[in-house]
Amino acid sequence: MTAEPIRPSAVATRRIPLELPGLGPALAWIIPPLTAMILAAIAVEIWVRVADVSIWLMPRPTTVIENFFVEFPRYFNEGLHTLGVSLGGLALGTMAAVVLAAGVAHSQLLERAVLPVAIMVKVTPVVAFIPLLIVWLGYGWEPKIAIAALITYFPVLINAIAGFRDIDPRIHDFFRSVQASRWEVFIHLRLPAAIPFLFAALKISVTLSLIGAVVAEFFSAGQGGLGSVIFFEQTELRLHKVFAAVLMLTVLGVTLSSAVVMLERLISWRLDAPVTAS
Amino acid sequence: MPNAPANRHPAAVELRGVQLTYLDADGLPLEAVDETSMSIAAGEFIALVGPSGCGKTSLLRLIAGLTDPSRGEVRVFGESPQEAQRRKRLGLVFQEPALLPWRSVEANISLGIELNPSQTHSPTSVDELLELVGLSDFRRFRPAALSGGMQQRVALARALAIDPPLLLLDEPFAALDEITREQMRYELLRLWGVSHSVEAPPRSAVLVTHSVNEAVAVADRVLVMSPRPGRIVADIPIDTPRPRLPEHEQSDRFINHTAMVRAALRTPGANAVPLERVGAA
Repeated sequence: MTAEPIRPSAVATRRIPLELPGLGPALAWIIPPLTAMILAAIAVEIWVRVADVSIWLMPRPTTVIENFFVEFPRYFNEGLHTLGVSLGGLALGTMAAVVLAAGVAHSQLLERAVLPVAIMVKVTPVVAFIPLLIVWLGYGWEPKIAIAALITYFPVLINAIAGFRDIDPRIHDFFRSVQASRWEVFIHLRLPAAIPFLFAALKISVTLSLIGAVVAEFFSAGQGGLGSVIFFEQTELRLHKVFAAVLMLTVLGVTLSSAVVMLERLISWRLDAPVTAS
Repeated sequence: MPNAPANRHPAAVELRGVQLTYLDADGLPLEAVDETSMSIAAGEFIALVGPSGCGKTSLLRLIAGLTDPSRGEVRVFGESPQEAQRRKRLGLVFQEPALLPWRSVEANISLGIELNPSQTHSPTSVDELLELVGLSDFRRFRPAALSGGMQQRVALARALAIDPPLLLLDEPFAALDEITREQMRYELLRLWGVSHSVEAPPRSAVLVTHSVNEAVAVADRVLVMSPRPGRIVADIPIDTPRPRLPEHEQSDRFINHTAMVRAALRTPGANAVPLERVGAA
């Protein structure tokens, strides 16, 4: 098989929290990267002003941030559109992948039939399908969701298959010894065992879905979404607005990734041992 | 529990000319279990000892219906092992606890009751089982928070929850430290005798073990297996009265029995009562 599952984070080594004197643990994680970003922005600002770079090539960071707040409602609304497409694609891709993986995990025939096709679709650059999908599905949200789904399903598929199969053979023997049905084995054994694998895949897929949504919006420019904003403002050479839209995308990406991490913590808190005996 | 089991119940286990051959990586046959016939009466506690890799576990899996014999026939309470599985007559315990890590202790114990629910007839209450294995205070804990011995007790309680008339134990205490292991032996005997259903046959058990002392301490009969291909070469009755107590392990009778088992392990067939084959009588 050409695709290896991404190992779940449960097996990753535990991080030692960074200690900054006088700061809480959350702030200790936020302050250093924030400082680095601000310093980089200041450096760009100085460079643009000193070298007198044309605003048609590189806008001043201060202009970008000013525009970001001035036109915030626009970026926010277009961002919601992109978020909707991205989440819709993620949900569709994930559900399709989990259902397919459940079938593949149970049937060798299905594995041989479906997995090579799934890999072929995966190695083909999905954006190449966008013009086709627009012809078939129109300029609305449908082709965009389809692209986001196509781009996200693969990591989930591979990891779900690995997770559904990663079961303790002795526990499986116990299920067999009382003739548990395949459905019972799936619900009580395979699905819970796959959850860490699914989250490892979701962390990859959630950012992929945003890429899929933005690229799809490029092609249906004028139909809403941050991709559409970027495409339109670039043709008008208003680069500060392009950067402001990109900034909104960064906010979206960070929000989505954090949401997955938080959801994982919430669920694994329920699954893991909450207390330790002496 | 009496040493002489009641005869009104069919044999708990009957093997007739059972043989198991695996194919190795090159497709060559590898004989795991040589032609074996034996019978286990209802209420009988059998220990199966032998060198590692001799096919003890294979034999247990054949009885449990987890592996099909290449030749011969396995009967459990006069039915096929699959039928015994379907009717939830088997209680399995493995060397590893094999618990569901995301379930609490009590939810792990009730697993067998929940699965295939139409066949759960007289489940033992989880509260009672927790009491029996001394884990009432840990009912909401996850397995990862428990010690190895406690986890194995959960596995025992899980096997007993469906009140199975046949307990199949595959080296259940091998991974435990010696102190816990010796303590668990008598705990197992106590749990073995606990049953709720009056009509059901008295509970039988097959214990696969590496430990001669463990085998002699718990069993009515010790079956000794030869190195691969596994064959039962000695059938040694242990007539120590029940209830068995730890003190019995100091008695001359106990030491005699262990000497017989050890001798049978060294030179297959020697110093042991000849094996009585089913159907030959």
